[in-house]
Amino acid sequence: MSSSKRASTMPAGPKPPTSLASTLIIADNATLTGTNLITIGASTIVHPRTRISCVHAPVTIGSSCILSERSSIGFQSSPSGEDQGRGVVIENGVVVEIGAIVEASRIGEGSLIEVNAKVGKGAVLGKHCKIGPLCTVAEGEVLPDFTVVFGNGQRRIDSSGAQELKLKMVGRQVEVLRKLIPSNLAKFQ
Amino acid sequence: MDHFTPYTYFQCPCTDNSISIRNIGHLESTRADHDDEDERTFDPKAPRANFSLYPLDHLLYCEICHEIRCPRCALDEIVTWYCPNCLFEVPSSTVKSEGNRCTRSCFQCPVCVAPLSVNSEAPAPTGLGAEHAGPAGPFVLSCSFCCWSSAEIGIKFEKPNSIFSQLAKIKNGGDPILSAKQRRLDREERRRDFSDASIPEDAQEVLPLDPNEQLDAEAQFSNLKSFYQSQLADASPASALGFGGEYGYGSPGALTRIMGLYTGGGLADKRSQSKSTPMREACDATEGLQLAKTNADEDLAKLRREGWEGTVSKEQRCEQAHEPHFVSDLRPIAALLRTKRSKRCKSCRHILSKPESKVQNTRFRIRLLAMNYIPTITIKPLQPVLPGQSSLLSPMKPTQFVLTFKNPLYDAVNVSIATPSQTPGRYSSKVTVLCPQFEVGAYIEDAWDDVLREPGEKGGEKERRRTRAETFEGQQQAEAGKVWESGRNWVSVVVEIVPATVGPESGPAFLTEGLEQDNSPMKEDEDILEIPVFVRLEWETDPAHDDGLGAPVSKDKEAKVKRELAYWCVLGVGRIAQV
Ligand SMILES: [Zn+2]
Ligand SMILES: [Zn+2]
Ligand SMILES: [Zn+2]
Ligand SMILES: [Zn+2]
Repeated sequence: MSSSKRASTMPAGPKPPTSLASTLIIADNATLTGTNLITIGASTIVHPRTRISCVHAPVTIGSSCILSERSSIGFQSSPSGEDQGRGVVIENGVVVEIGAIVEASRIGEGSLIEVNAKVGKGAVLGKHCKIGPLCTVAEGEVLPDFTVVFGNGQRRIDSSGAQELKLKMVGRQVEVLRKLIPSNLAKFQ
Repeated sequence: MDHFTPYTYFQCPCTDNSISIRNIGHLESTRADHDDEDERTFDPKAPRANFSLYPLDHLLYCEICHEIRCPRCALDEIVTWYCPNCLFEVPSSTVKSEGNRCTRSCFQCPVCVAPLSVNSEAPAPTGLGAEHAGPAGPFVLSCSFCCWSSAEIGIKFEKPNSIFSQLAKIKNGGDPILSAKQRRLDREERRRDFSDASIPEDAQEVLPLDPNEQLDAEAQFSNLKSFYQSQLADASPASALGFGGEYGYGSPGALTRIMGLYTGGGLADKRSQSKSTPMREACDATEGLQLAKTNADEDLAKLRREGWEGTVSKEQRCEQAHEPHFVSDLRPIAALLRTKRSKRCKSCRHILSKPESKVQNTRFRIRLLAMNYIPTITIKPLQPVLPGQSSLLSPMKPTQFVLTFKNPLYDAVNVSIATPSQTPGRYSSKVTVLCPQFEVGAYIEDAWDDVLREPGEKGGEKERRRTRAETFEGQQQAEAGKVWESGRNWVSVVVEIVPATVGPESGPAFLTEGLEQDNSPMKEDEDILEIPVFVRLEWETDPAHDDGLGAPVSKDKEAKVKRELAYWCVLGVGRIAQV
């Protein structure tokens, strides 16, 4: 596999301290870097080539989350404010799609961060938020529950009440991905 | 500074250059008037030029007239109407009666214009045989992009199909809309009650039946329409051609009568004229009259309650039929139908482009693109712009550009190009074409030919590259009168440009000489250096080639036909740095 070869050429740093649930699915060539604690909950899926960085602050990910390929979780540079010291917290049932960058202090339950979206440092997203493709949430921004960011940065509140259905869909997606992605949990423990 | 991509636009010869185009909305008029008609230079910066310049791939070519054809000199004919969402082909008769929107289930989001999908509100069935059971209602239209759903405006559907007709019966909020027929019955009934009370018809002080009835735009239109229909019917009851049909206005008899009614009978026949009585106007809601609201308390209260979020944006409003103010008044937008069109030459009526009529088929039966008949022209700087270097042109510094002509024809073409020595406009740059006349070789389709011929042509290749090699060793200058570089069916020549000084102050006197001084602030894109180029092509061809068959060249020289084509082009070279 070409991608695993590429991973092996990287300098092997010390493994970051982790607290991983036993039902976690984490692909062999996901990258976990840094020295802070990484906590990942049960039934979460970490795709190949997902980057989780705890260099500057710890990362906490809830259960039944999906972190897609080439997404980056964790601070990319050192935090500026004191309140950002807790690092990145992602609650249960959050989907981070391909290429998205998440540096938020908190991502609420059931949120969806779409392709190549960017959530800035210290931002706080409420529950069931949806950040559209290529949309940006500024540093330190606070979005209430059910916020939808779409198009050219327009925002609206989703009042369709379909959040339960969506959580169920994420659960089903997790079930499928469990069978598809070979996990190598031991490598990261 | 942002990146500038050099471009070439072609002017269709159908443009009338004899009109001094700078006169329109411009002060400079004297210069153009002095010129002889033939010598008049096309000015790409003139306001009119926008309408005649096209990229080469937008142009067609008529093989009968041997001319370039642009969207202005080609006629469009609609081949097919279809819905872009469900690809359903809509017959043109349906388009006439139902309008140009998809009448099935295709809608776009009123908030973000993404396509809407029909989803079931009920949770998916679970348990045994769940996958065979269809989804249960109610259904909503929902947007997967911005999460808008028709539930937000209180609209839910019983069936997942034919949403259009279901939507036509539901108001925002879920109340039913009466169909035109029901409304008419309703109206008739009320009128009967009304006339029983024996109220004079024209009495203004008497309140109409339901003066506060708020009609939506559809209902108002329908009321108005039936009111005037009945008025017209009353005006000429003896007419054989009644207004019974929905589209009775279209018939010639009806039109004559309407014209007659409004013009005092000049066009109507004597019989109906004698019977026509002055028409009354609508005077209440049942007849379609809606007074403008003088009291906006309700709207104001709503505005206070819902705030900025509750109002629609300009874009959202433009998409809607009745210009709503609040998000709660938005309605899903039925998908606008698209067309497939064929194009005809305006002067000889021959077809230039004809797509397959089937929607799913993207092929063309006929497509005569100008690209296959006239050389493409590309322009690029002689010295490539290094990364990090400014791509702006420095004023007053001679810069060289390579102009490449690539021939798509099966015959060699003689090309003559001419440019004005100074570009027209306020900021006039100097332009010199080092080699204005050259021949571009024929296009050879077979790639194998190319490979096989390569060894024999090695000498020629060296010959060709010679001028180039010299310049790299020498003074970095292209030789005047010589082609810069050439290949089998392409030729490059060098153009030298001395960009003008662009800025609020006018340039040195020798550049602005003879021009009226215009010290107005710089307009948008006035700093882009555009060069008008007159291109003239001459070639000899076998008439068989004209049919586009690509038949082998006949040995008979007499059979050859001489062809000529001339047109203006505009080369967008770059932005000039401001001083
Ligand atoms: Zn034209
Ligand atoms: Zn459709
Ligand atoms: Zn939408
Ligand atoms: Zn023609």
